[in-house]
Amino acid sequence: MTRTDPVGLGRGPLTRWLPVILHAPAEPAGIRPFAAGAGLTPGRFLLRVISSVPRVSVPAMLFATVWQVGEAAVPVVMGLAIDRALATGDAGQLVLWLGVLVALYVALTTAARLALRLTAYAVQLLQHRLRGTLSSGVLHPDDGTGRAPDGRVVSVMTSDVARLANAVILGIMPVSRVVAIGFIAVSLLATHWLLGLVVLVGAPVAVWLMGLLSERLSRDTREFQELLAATVGRATDLVTGYRVVKGIGVRAEAEATRRYRQASQETLVGARRNAGLLGRFLVGSGAVTGLFVAAVMGLAGWFAVDGQLSIGRLIAAVGLTQALLPQIESIANLSIPNLAGARASSARILDVLRDNDSSTPAPDKTLPYEVTRDNDTSTPEPGKTLPYEVTRDNDTSTPEPGKTLPYEVTRPPVLEVSEPPVTVGPGELVGVRADDRTAARIAGALLDPWAGDDVHVRLDGVPVRELSPATYRSRVTVAPHRAMLFIGTIRDNVAGNPELTDTAVRAAACDDFATDLGVPVGEGGNRLSGGQRQRVALARALASDAPVLVLHDPTTAVDSVTEHAIAGRLRGVRAGRSTLLIASSPALLGCCDRVVDLLGEAAP
Amino acid sequence: MSGHVLPVADGRQTAREVWRLSHGHRLRLAATGVLGIVSTGVDLIPPVAIGYLVDRVRTETAGLGTVLTVTAVMVVAAVLGAAGTAVTIVLATRTYHTILATLRERLVGRAMTLPQHVVERAGTGDLISRSSDDVTAVADAAPAVIPALTVTAFTIVVSLGGLAALEWPYAAALAVVLPVYVLAMRWYLRTGPRVYRAERTAMSARAQQILESQRGYATVLGFGLAGPRHRAVMTTSWEVAVQSVRARIVQSMLSARLNLGECLSLAAVLVVGFVLVGRGDSTVGGATTAMLLVLRLLGPVNELLFVIDTLQSALASLNRMIGVVTVPAERNGSGPATTAVRLREVVFRYGDGPPALDGVSLDIAPGQRVAVVGVSGAGKSTLAAVVAGIHRPEAGTVARPGRAAVITQEVHVFAGTLRENLTLAAPDATDRDIRAALDATGAADLLDQLPDGVDTAVGAGGHPLTDAQAQQIALTRLLLADPELAILDEATAEAGSTQAGPLDHAAGAALAGRTGLIIAHRLSQAAECDRIVVLDRGRIVETGTHHELVGSGGTYAELWEAWRAGQR
Repeated sequence: MTRTDPVGLGRGPLTRWLPVILHAPAEPAGIRPFAAGAGLTPGRFLLRVISSVPRVSVPAMLFATVWQVGEAAVPVVMGLAIDRALATGDAGQLVLWLGVLVALYVALTTAARLALRLTAYAVQLLQHRLRGTLSSGVLHPDDGTGRAPDGRVVSVMTSDVARLANAVILGIMPVSRVVAIGFIAVSLLATHWLLGLVVLVGAPVAVWLMGLLSERLSRDTREFQELLAATVGRATDLVTGYRVVKGIGVRAEAEATRRYRQASQETLVGARRNAGLLGRFLVGSGAVTGLFVAAVMGLAGWFAVDGQLSIGRLIAAVGLTQALLPQIESIANLSIPNLAGARASSARILDVLRDNDSSTPAPDKTLPYEVTRDNDTSTPEPGKTLPYEVTRDNDTSTPEPGKTLPYEVTRPPVLEVSEPPVTVGPGELVGVRADDRTAARIAGALLDPWAGDDVHVRLDGVPVRELSPATYRSRVTVAPHRAMLFIGTIRDNVAGNPELTDTAVRAAACDDFATDLGVPVGEGGNRLSGGQRQRVALARALASDAPVLVLHDPTTAVDSVTEHAIAGRLRGVRAGRSTLLIASSPALLGCCDRVVDLLGEAAP
Repeated sequence: MSGHVLPVADGRQTAREVWRLSHGHRLRLAATGVLGIVSTGVDLIPPVAIGYLVDRVRTETAGLGTVLTVTAVMVVAAVLGAAGTAVTIVLATRTYHTILATLRERLVGRAMTLPQHVVERAGTGDLISRSSDDVTAVADAAPAVIPALTVTAFTIVVSLGGLAALEWPYAAALAVVLPVYVLAMRWYLRTGPRVYRAERTAMSARAQQILESQRGYATVLGFGLAGPRHRAVMTTSWEVAVQSVRARIVQSMLSARLNLGECLSLAAVLVVGFVLVGRGDSTVGGATTAMLLVLRLLGPVNELLFVIDTLQSALASLNRMIGVVTVPAERNGSGPATTAVRLREVVFRYGDGPPALDGVSLDIAPGQRVAVVGVSGAGKSTLAAVVAGIHRPEAGTVARPGRAAVITQEVHVFAGTLRENLTLAAPDATDRDIRAALDATGAADLLDQLPDGVDTAVGAGGHPLTDAQAQQIALTRLLLADPELAILDEATAEAGSTQAGPLDHAAGAALAGRTGLIIAHRLSQAAECDRIVVLDRGRIVETGTHHELVGSGGTYAELWEAWRAGQR
């Protein structure tokens, strides 16, 4: 950050030289994904998650215990100080108890600091691990046969992961608070057995009562938050379609505003109901704690009047009861809703993991010949290791863009599609002219040959279903019609074989806007126009240098002059490789070796 | 770009606007304030009662009756205090959300009526984030901000008052500790917001990566990008971890500073109590009450310091929302509404670049259909935007019919039913009108593919539609909106040639009986128009009918030849 304050924590000249304890280190190695077996219940999964980082969470719990017991001891020390120093007027006692107070604060502050940081680290470690589990299992499965995960996965990978990871706090804070309550109860027992007993029985009852109230409230709060999110989503939707609304004119503006107002008012009703429940909770919890304190105080007062309790012990009892309140309130207001939320998130995460648990395809059958790959035998490059090891077959790691020379190939395999029958021989550029639905069906089957039953795909005569997805994908690259660009530069997106980048960029006619490949494309490529996005996507396909490349309507958003230029360059850049071009543009089909015309008319 | 962002209100504007929004709620707000002060006052009773009991026990004047009375008083005070506090918070929360609802509705309403050139310069992203992120931030701040502004603040004031009433030196002792809190707050306000901002930035980068992988699932699969995409997501994930731990470190540093304040406050009470009791100015019971009051005070002080940054970021969001609401209304005064389109010597440029339109004059008679052709970058879309009023010309005049509609390549299906999408511009359209419009644009067979017909949910989270289908819906919507002038900017370009026929048919139906300006993607569309205008580097270089232009052997004839060659 600044020169004088290297870690940017705003520390003054006295403290900035101190090391920052437990600053998060570089990405941790050796984090393994969680397994989500069939018999796993949300509750068990929750337990497994909580108990999976004992090396961080157990020390955190111990420090938290010191912290909470220390907090509970503050009123006791104050009570004792009043009794020993103020009541007697002994200055030596005052100094002694001030010293005790300062020592207590030093201890509890240090413990709190360590507990908070360890807890934060444990939560983040778990979030990262859960996210890794979902990323490799659902969002980026390397066996890659599953259906596309629905939009749910985004919220699950952000909010639900955060909520479930927060559950690790349940093994830290409530435990320390229960110990602190125990400490208070034992101290009161030493004061008078009946007072201790009242706390031992009363505290759990109070926690339970308030927990009931707070769970109802937090459930409604979640409902309200969903309602709010829906309204916010509607605003986002309307503003995203801003140009469309403006395009239609004033009436659409008024109608869009009216529809938003309706949704907003529904949310307001939810907000008012939620506020009412909050009020009920506040009355309930205030009354429960108030009654509890009054009962203990009344009892202690009676014992004092009766002579069973000295005045010093009465004040200590006052302090202890005072210390009890925050502990009860925190367990009821924080831990119980946290548990309920974490359970719900645990269930959602398990759902998503299971929904996308693709049944493993048949064992890998080898192709008639082996395609030798450079990095088949080599160990992964240092510094490029995944945060954890993904288990995949040795020879089948997906080609990684950016690495040179993915293949040493004698010839690309023969690609056959059964229905409608299309064959692409080694080195051929074959066009397919079909109606939209047929085109989508062929492209879909090539993208995921394991999914449907109607179209069969073969590579060199071997049914693809008998191959592992990784083997198939190392031979066949499918560029879908709706190609997605990822945040980063044009070069990041084109990736592929670096020697081919420039050729590919030129062949895809990106030269007019992509003179500098280091230009960022924006979120989802939103800094580029539709036609530019499509051309970058085409450049990516061409730069992949795949033995077999499938292109689906790659130039629909490109003007006809540019399309013509692309058609002229396509053949050159794919020389020696096989290409299947599903397209309806006559200009593109015109450059093919042959065209399979499924529309009935003859084509050259 | 950065020079043209949407305005952000300053503190005074925000205060004025919030005051205006509070109209109709002010009496209730005042009552809430009074109730809040009374109930926190009631909360003072239990510590005083305990101190009283301690003194009575010490002087041995207490009996069972005293104990019962004190206990009963404490019970009543606890219940009344809790009820009063709860009602205060409920009233304040409801008013807060009511005002917020009014504000967000005005925000979206204003966003929709903002002149498009203003929004285009700032980017829609800014508007989206103000109507979503900022609204959420202000709503989410409610549970932290409302108790802080009502009960917590009152508790601090009332407890300090109680301490002063008990024996003023106790309150004075706390004033000595005040600098510790001031310094802690200053440090936190300097450090906290930056660290939290970094955390939020890291979170949105992570969300973006996850979203892109989900939306681009087919791309990831087809290109075998699972490995690199997984690494990209995990890298941003760990970046969030680093930033979050940093943010928690800052919080623990604040806690440590607050603990220092606590320790000093309690020590001060002991020292002051020692002196006062020694001089006979206070009793042991009084010191106990003081201790309880200070302990009761410290919690709210800590809470208040912790919510200060929530309060700050909620205020920043509020300023951004109100900045949009208070943009002064300006109706495009680019000329009187006419029935024809009339451009005279129009010049337009993007930023400081070369002119995208350079002295363009164009007349379109009512009911006439004009096509604009030219190579990429000739200025076709710019011309469409100027005619539509999206861009304001730097020089020259533009006149157009009052009711104009534009359809571009950019499709957006609104989340909702197909009916809601179609009736956006014609809320009164009957089922029969909708059916007729769908039939006219040939979109009726789309209905057969939808499970619930016109009541099928489409758009985000609904039934997926192809771009060609979405554009067919847009054309049907245009037909229902029934404008005088229709501008189609490569509206049918998205379709492959197999869909081109149906879409061009739909476009034809939507244009029937209207003045039309068509930016043609396929020259076959241009050939069917009444007149063709050829643009080159922002200037009109040729104009005439298809046959005239083909016959003249100019730029259009060349383009036509290239296009026809591509069709063969």
